[in-house]
Amino acid sequence: MLEISHMDVSYGDLQALWDVSMTIEQGKIATLVGSNGAGKSTLMYCVSGLIKHKTGSIRFEGMRLDAMPTHRRVEHGICMVPEGRRLFPQMTVLENLEVGASIAKARKVRFDTLNWIYDLFPILRERKKQRAGTLSGGEQQMLAIGRVLMSQPKLLLIDEMSLGLSPLLVQEISRVIKEINQGRKLTILLVEQDVQLALSLADWGYIIENGRIVGEGKAGELLCSEQVRQAYLGMELPGRVEYTG
Amino acid sequence: MNVVIQTALIGITVGALYGLLALGFGLIMGVMKFVNIAHGSFVILGGYVAYWLFTLLGIDPYLSIPAVMLVMFVMGLILYRLLFSPLLKYPRAEMRLDKSLLITFGVTWILDNTVTILWTPDTRSIVTSYTGDTIDILGARLGFTGLAGLILGVLAALALNLLLTRTYFGKHVRAATEDSGAASLSGVNVQRTYMISCGIAAALGGVAGVVIVSSYSIAPSGGLNWLLTAMVVVVLAGEGNIAYILPAGLILGLLQSGSTLIVSPAYQQPIALIIFILVLMFRPKGLFARKG
Repeated sequence: MLEISHMDVSYGDLQALWDVSMTIEQGKIATLVGSNGAGKSTLMYCVSGLIKHKTGSIRFEGMRLDAMPTHRRVEHGICMVPEGRRLFPQMTVLENLEVGASIAKARKVRFDTLNWIYDLFPILRERKKQRAGTLSGGEQQMLAIGRVLMSQPKLLLIDEMSLGLSPLLVQEISRVIKEINQGRKLTILLVEQDVQLALSLADWGYIIENGRIVGEGKAGELLCSEQVRQAYLGMELPGRVEYTG
Repeated sequence: MNVVIQTALIGITVGALYGLLALGFGLIMGVMKFVNIAHGSFVILGGYVAYWLFTLLGIDPYLSIPAVMLVMFVMGLILYRLLFSPLLKYPRAEMRLDKSLLITFGVTWILDNTVTILWTPDTRSIVTSYTGDTIDILGARLGFTGLAGLILGVLAALALNLLLTRTYFGKHVRAATEDSGAASLSGVNVQRTYMISCGIAAALGGVAGVVIVSSYSIAPSGGLNWLLTAMVVVVLAGEGNIAYILPAGLILGLLQSGSTLIVSPAYQQPIALIIFILVLMFRPKGLFARKG
């Protein structure tokens, strides 16, 4: 479904990704595992189009994405929950969800999607008139996932799903991820600091180090490998990336 | 007593104009994080368009508002296409801010001099049959043009607020205001949202220009003075707080006209700037900022 081949990415003189190639199959959950500053978020932003890559190509369902702007990628079904969630804090929960349904295709079915999301996360229904900035961390993550589901994604990118959440909430969100993967046949690419969790959710894993893919394999097998233990270092915080036209 | 009411009336009418002036400036600053120094020149240009329509075709300035707004909307789109959209390649908002400041400062010179060539440096105003007419309110007198400015300011602020809160386009604008990257990840066409916002901002500037040319006067170099007032109002309201721009304008107008009861009217501009500095020192997020 998603095919990245020989992609290089730089921020000015600083090269962040080197010759990255990866493939994600339809209906699967893939995960990207790596240490601080390895380039996980950069890779995710490249797929969603907020960061433009220099060389190489990204194909989605056989179509080249290279110069396509972010909102057009959303129309084709590539949607992302960015790290830090990046909600619209001054807007209400309902408004956040409505903005999620910005593309024409999603807007047509927004009421049905909205009810489905309220069923997935009943707390969002209760708080629909509340400003997003006043929600707790867990509720914000639910809203972030709700908002992205409003866009009718085919490929869902989730960056740092569990960051700052209680173990109970992590379980709850993991359950929803499984559910939308199986029930809605959504393909998911997950970046997650909790490597254990990521690999237990995923079908396939990639290991990224210093901007290079250094290993891949079935998630269950990676979980036991020595290589993964070395990459398992914690969280990273890339700078805030603005819209770049 | 009479003096106080008269002063309050003047404060309210001037304040509404301040709010109207600041709406477009605050919209661009909030949405795009661009400081549009040329906004004052756009206001003046809008005034000249109304002046032209009045002298050449005899169209009443208030009836010419739709036409002025349309012309200025297109001007806003051109400004965006030519000068603002290239700035989007800078990934960080602060890089866009200082570059937009310099670029629009240049636009101010170009516009002011173009206007001078087209209409000469003379001060112009539109004088109609009703220009001097006043209405009696509690023994004080409210000029007809002042009342018209007040109504237009309130209408424009209400219309903009309804647009921003009730329509899908408005929600896109607000989303792009808060986080342009997250907005585009949600499928918002941020470029288009920016471009139309820019057009709306210029059109609102045009309305302010009509009010100025019919109740005061315009000259090619007057833009920067009006801009200064718009900046003070936007700081009072708090950056990005478009709903509070009109109230902030009214507060500034009332403070300025109230000050004439105590000190000479010549101090009006310094008073605005003292308020500007005090707000920046003690309430940098504006008078209406929520805690936390």
